[in-house]
Amino acid sequence: MADTNPPWEGLDGSDRHAACMVAARHGNRKALDVLVAELTPLVWHVARGNGLDKASAEDVVQTVWLALLRHVDRLTEPKALVGWLITTTRRESYRARQNGTAQVELSTELAEQVLSRDPMPEAEALREERDQDLWIAFSRLPRRCQELLRLTVLAGRAEYQAVSEALRMPRGSIGPTRGRCLNTLRTLLSDDEGDVP
Amino acid sequence: MSDRDDDVYQGVARLVEFDAPPGDLVERIQFAIAIEDIDVEAARWARMPALAGVRGDGNGTITFSVDDLTVMVNLTRTGEAHRIDGWLVPAGEHAVEVRVAEHGSTATTADESGRFVLTDVPRGTTQILVRLAGRLSGTVVTPAVVL
Repeated sequence: MADTNPPWEGLDGSDRHAACMVAARHGNRKALDVLVAELTPLVWHVARGNGLDKASAEDVVQTVWLALLRHVDRLTEPKALVGWLITTTRRESYRARQNGTAQVELSTELAEQVLSRDPMPEAEALREERDQDLWIAFSRLPRRCQELLRLTVLAGRAEYQAVSEALRMPRGSIGPTRGRCLNTLRTLLSDDEGDVP
Repeated sequence: MSDRDDDVYQGVARLVEFDAPPGDLVERIQFAIAIEDIDVEAARWARMPALAGVRGDGNGTITFSVDDLTVMVNLTRTGEAHRIDGWLVPAGEHAVEVRVAEHGSTATTADESGRFVLTDVPRGTTQILVRLAGRLSGTVVTPAVVL
């Protein structure tokens, strides 16, 4: 066989990312493709959690990955990739928000999605309504909480072990800050229910 | 009760699943980073509020900018392709390359006023690279956008 196994094969979490970064430094472009495929959801959720609409989040995600190109040789600690991606995405999201074109109310996005849907069965419609209330409440959370809860969900998945490592968030536990964010969300939800007789 | 079993948390988890990146985003990024130069400056797409969400209709002006350079391109549909009228600020005889996924690339050089024209550019996932000339140096790349 001409190709040997790629150096990141069989590795998980930050070890896998570090192996990809080292391979990328040696000119292995496939290694960057692997990182892009596996970590784009992370970058996306940080951008979305920092108040960007979908179109702006797409732009920011691309900017962050293009910025990584010139940092392939400069990141002193390849294991710290996830942390670098999170920090860079926050900074780019802040910049996009300063431009003032980056924010659409989540409820507007939802309305557009719902309008474009076909009629659905009643049980599904009910769930849809519950989800909508939740989304609207979620979008009223402080951005810090929105980002944290999105990352908590990602970190809960086996393939995002590096996220839980970077955030020092053991899988299976939520921790006090996240607990407070969830409590705020519960309060926002019950306030909404109070509005409807 | 563990928070992870909580209904609200489960709802948030569903929301996060649902709010996934667009299906073609990974592929577009992989295209955007498949370039020779790695010491690049990424130009940001300065979308006007009125144009937010409007993309890929084949006509119109798009502006990208980065600290050193602003890239303005005006698109005109010509049948299956389009014509790109570009303007680089600060002006200079910068080298311009337009890459279109699965269609290779087209190159030209801007005139001294920073203007360039490319005709018959295939439509598709497109990225513009500008190699700066004169006092400036380096390469500016735009995100890959569907034009």
